[in-house]
Amino acid sequence: MFQYEKRLQYPVKIKTPNPKLAKAIITQYGGPHGELGASIRYLSQRFSMPYAEVKGILTDIGTEELGHLEMVGTIVYQLTRNLTPQQIKEAGFDDYFVDHTTGVYPIAASGEAFSAATFSVTGDVIADLHEDLSAEQKARSTYDNILRLTDDPDVKDPIRFLRAREVVHFQRFGEALRLVQDRLNSKNFYAFNPAFDR
Amino acid sequence: MNPRQALLQKLSVAQFAAWELHMYLDTHPGDAEALARYRHYEAKTRRLTEEYESKYGPLTAGDAYGDARWEWVNSPWPWETTEGE
Repeated sequence: MFQYEKRLQYPVKIKTPNPKLAKAIITQYGGPHGELGASIRYLSQRFSMPYAEVKGILTDIGTEELGHLEMVGTIVYQLTRNLTPQQIKEAGFDDYFVDHTTGVYPIAASGEAFSAATFSVTGDVIADLHEDLSAEQKARSTYDNILRLTDDPDVKDPIRFLRAREVVHFQRFGEALRLVQDRLNSKNFYAFNPAFDR
Repeated sequence: MNPRQALLQKLSVAQFAAWELHMYLDTHPGDAEALARYRHYEAKTRRLTEEYESKYGPLTAGDAYGDARWEWVNSPWPWETTEGE
């Protein structure tokens, strides 16, 4: 089960609204490399994971991603506070605003709603862990692109934190993959799925 | 940064150190030195959490104190805090 703790993993305090930037950053809320997909991917993959350490790392990283989802939601929320109708139109925020006002809804920067088709749960240990390594790099790359789009230090600071977490998670998934490969039967040269092919 | 935010930051730093060690231990469960460091930061987090909650209200609903009112809905929500608040 999960229990909520009433604080952010890393503080977000944005003074200057910027709805145009919010429309880009929301992609880490509901986009193809975003925190929602990350969390559901890891928390779902762990059920078919045969190794204890890897069950642990999938559970813990999947849980941390929920905290990151909350941070990204907070960034989007704070970037869209106290807007006038004129600011909304000038920033090109009107197409989001018409459906969601300033509510936070999981979509990609392109406007597409969140889809589970952005990630995989193959039930294959090796395939899932490679997907996870790739996912961390894709999220890191998206945060790099967000950092290229803004000079606001209030935004850059928590985005840099989130970017660094992707790097740490990549490291932990790399160790998990190594642990799994060490345990494959020595006759299993082609890395058949140890969760299914016994 | 006001005193509430300063204490919350102190708590978050300790919790973050514990969390990093927690995840490291998932893939290195036999590392006793890391385990000792984890216990140190975990204890520090618990101490600071108690201090914070006694002053500024609950971080988890189960820690809500007070008999007259449900404090959980009174303490600030994290996305709403701003500098100087």
